[in-house]
Amino acid sequence: MKKLFITSALLLVSMISVFAQNEKYVQAMESSIGLLNKVDKAKNDPVELQEIANRFERIGTAEAKEWLPRYYAAYCYTLMGLSGSSIEEKDKFLDKADGLLKESETLAGKPSDEILIMKAYAAQIRLAADAMNRWQKYGALFTENIDAAKAINGDNPRIYYLEGSSLFFKPEEYGGGKKVAKPLLEKSVAKFSTFKPQSTIAPQWGKMEAEWMLSQANQ
Amino acid sequence: MADRFVSSKTQNLSAMKLFYYLLFFSTTVSYGQTVVKGKVLDKKGHAMPGANVFLKGTYDGTTTDSSGVFYFKTFEKDTVTLVASYVGFEIAETKLSLKEKEISHQFRLEELANELNTVVITAGAFDASDEKRMAMLKPLDIVTTAGAAADITGAIQFLPGAQRVGEQEGLFVRGGSGQETKVVIDGMIVQNPFFSSLPDVQQRGRFNPFMFKGTSFSTGGYSAQYGQALSSVLLLNTTDKASNNGLGISLNLANAGLNYDYATKNQSVSAVAYYGNLKPLFTLVRQNVDWLHEPEFKGSSLTYRLKPTKYGVLKVYGMYSDSRLSMNSKDPSSESGKMKLDLKNRNAFVTSTYTDQWREGKWLLNSGFSYSRNKDNMTFDAANFDRFDERTQARLVLTGLLSGNNSILFGGEAHIINLQNGVNGKLYHLQDRYTTVFAESEIYVTRLLAGRVGVRGEYSALLGRFNLAPRLSFAYKTGKYSQVSLAAGQFYQNPDYRYLYRNKNLNFERADHLILNFQIIKNQRTFRFETFYKNYAQLVREFTGQAYDADPYRFPWGTTSNGGHGYARGFDFFWRDQKTIKNFDYWVTYSYVDSKRLFQQFDHSATPTFISHHNASLITKKWFDKIQTNLSMTYAFTSGRPYYNPNSKEFLANRTPTVHNLSIQASKLTSIKGNLIILYASVDNILNIKNVFTYRYTPDGKTRYAVGPQSYRSFFVGTQIMLSKKAKVDKNDL
Repeated sequence: MKKLFITSALLLVSMISVFAQNEKYVQAMESSIGLLNKVDKAKNDPVELQEIANRFERIGTAEAKEWLPRYYAAYCYTLMGLSGSSIEEKDKFLDKADGLLKESETLAGKPSDEILIMKAYAAQIRLAADAMNRWQKYGALFTENIDAAKAINGDNPRIYYLEGSSLFFKPEEYGGGKKVAKPLLEKSVAKFSTFKPQSTIAPQWGKMEAEWMLSQANQ
Repeated sequence: MADRFVSSKTQNLSAMKLFYYLLFFSTTVSYGQTVVKGKVLDKKGHAMPGANVFLKGTYDGTTTDSSGVFYFKTFEKDTVTLVASYVGFEIAETKLSLKEKEISHQFRLEELANELNTVVITAGAFDASDEKRMAMLKPLDIVTTAGAAADITGAIQFLPGAQRVGEQEGLFVRGGSGQETKVVIDGMIVQNPFFSSLPDVQQRGRFNPFMFKGTSFSTGGYSAQYGQALSSVLLLNTTDKASNNGLGISLNLANAGLNYDYATKNQSVSAVAYYGNLKPLFTLVRQNVDWLHEPEFKGSSLTYRLKPTKYGVLKVYGMYSDSRLSMNSKDPSSESGKMKLDLKNRNAFVTSTYTDQWREGKWLLNSGFSYSRNKDNMTFDAANFDRFDERTQARLVLTGLLSGNNSILFGGEAHIINLQNGVNGKLYHLQDRYTTVFAESEIYVTRLLAGRVGVRGEYSALLGRFNLAPRLSFAYKTGKYSQVSLAAGQFYQNPDYRYLYRNKNLNFERADHLILNFQIIKNQRTFRFETFYKNYAQLVREFTGQAYDADPYRFPWGTTSNGGHGYARGFDFFWRDQKTIKNFDYWVTYSYVDSKRLFQQFDHSATPTFISHHNASLITKKWFDKIQTNLSMTYAFTSGRPYYNPNSKEFLANRTPTVHNLSIQASKLTSIKGNLIILYASVDNILNIKNVFTYRYTPDGKTRYAVGPQSYRSFFVGTQIMLSKKAKVDKNDL
């Protein structure tokens, strides 16, 4: 009886500690995601984003088996790649994002649509940094990752947001423009309305951006 | 029983304690915390804001503030690892013992090696690449340069170090002749990079510039990986992927073609077929050449690419072309002053390369096999001058990337070359088996100082001789954006095969190069300066016992030796500015060369006819966003070249007039029913200047002919249509 009690008490303690650790992870992630959501996406202030990226990276080093902290850190660096002051600086952030995504791919173990989408996003931003010379290489990389993500989960609304945004900013003469982007943005917004993230810390960005862009496409 | 209850209750309590301890461990702030604080600086002592500082394996940490300061508290005990990291810097770690209430530490982070802080060996090399950030040109710059007619060598001849020689094909680099530059595709020497040579009519290159993702033009001092070129190598690297999926049509005043691309995840195929006839163009543009049958050509190519493994790439490229023409070429030695020339050419080239890498990219393999075959059925006034050549080559290079940017490579090549020349019904035949081994290493002493040491050994069975050519380069970074480089080396080349038909005891010809380079690349502006000295030795001399014969198409029948020598010295600079004016890009090039040689039939040292002391060019490009049009303009200046005047006492003392050329090119992108259309138009020699490249004299020396371009002012229009809606085109396609 005593033995049983000790065993169950120890089991309880170890479960609690795992639970506490897990809860600590989820809480840390939730608060960092909360900060990330508050970032003004029109500005993407690098100082603010660096601070949040560092938070995710710290969680990532403490939780060596989780792919999400690295994924979110990569998201921060991708956004920093958008607001960087020079091509060199943008590339430095995007190189970092690519490295983190590679690590999260390894940790995820199996192909993840979310990681592929982030890879496509990083490629899109790298293209935008020097479209004149990069459309060929990074345009292909963007499509490759988007196609791979579609094959895994065609219902992911972020796929259509990225596709739509890439057409949105492309001049009409090259097959882009608001008109062509609109159906994709509509599809994205529709998919967002039914999209259920797997957990509170699973990726769920893009809804606001897709809605904003659709409102612009409607003008 | 009570005892047991108490004891289990105690245990229960201790479990509860542990539970609460675990729970509070991370959330509450109380006694027992240690303050960890300090500063993060770079090597120069500048504060680094935004750095991540944390205890390894825990959630405890923070980001440095605007003055690089960090401050945080932790419940961790004993020994911990404090880490500081920042993008682009090496991660720093330190072990700390958290015994005191407050612990302070200062980090000094070291920057990771990158393009800005690491020197690159550049002397002699001029790159057009999307991938290398040190590249001075992008591949698309080649096709958008006015005056280049979308021809690779046409664009390269505006670069520093190149001299323009209007009546011959080839790249003339720093005092070298057109034969002294080799064109190399994916490591394989191209036997016939240009369409068959014609008397006094410059020929285009056989390859479409869109096939290549990168071009590296060496003006000397090049790597031990390449040889058989006294002056220069032009390295072309083919693309790894088909860029479009679908059908394309190209239509212009010279030809009509179809191309089709199809790509899946691991494979792609590109097929091209074309038919060309210059009759319509030559009817519209007045010709200085008397055509009897305007050039007519047809050809096709097929490219297949396969990715069998994650990093492995197999490429197979095959092309075949067939052309014919007939002209009356100017012949000062005949009574009528002209000679009828008929040429029918068939050319085939197949090359396959396989590249792969192992151990996370630490070992790279480059291998290739190619075969080329070229046949010219040629008659001069019905006398047969058939030419035939064939080259089979295999190549293997293994590169190891060592730590700290250092690398080492080894490789070898084997070639079998067969040549035949018909001269007035007599057939000459030659076979050479040429083998080479080479090794080269790049050594970074520091990030600021690097060296490249290489050696190449070559054996030619035809000459029965061996040579050993050392190559050496250094580069030192003088500032954040600037560096100096030095390159030196020896370069061997087999003598012109026409000499070897009659004398197989000749030796290799040799050039020694010394190059000093300085460059600054900053903020989309580039300045590059190079100065060089070249020494030529073992050049072939021909002794005929007769007066100098200026006919460039004569067959060398005299006795020959390797007694020739010479030198070339000079400097060149390049300035490019893409920043000052939005959507406007220009570059200026100036090259100076002074060279003399004792070679061929020269009986004393003189400046060869292909040398012009001064070559300058201005290239401008402007993009008009609203009308989706790119307009480019090129002005080129070439100073006069020596020509042979039999009436002059001094050998090759006369100079031709200077050559000026102003050309423009416009390209516009539009779409009709979802199909993308590129329209382009160009005008060459707008000012209609009657340029003269050289003069030729009748045997009595009384009359001379001026040799100029094929036409003076000329124009060209064309279109490219992409029928696939999936085709992706950008303004850079123009």
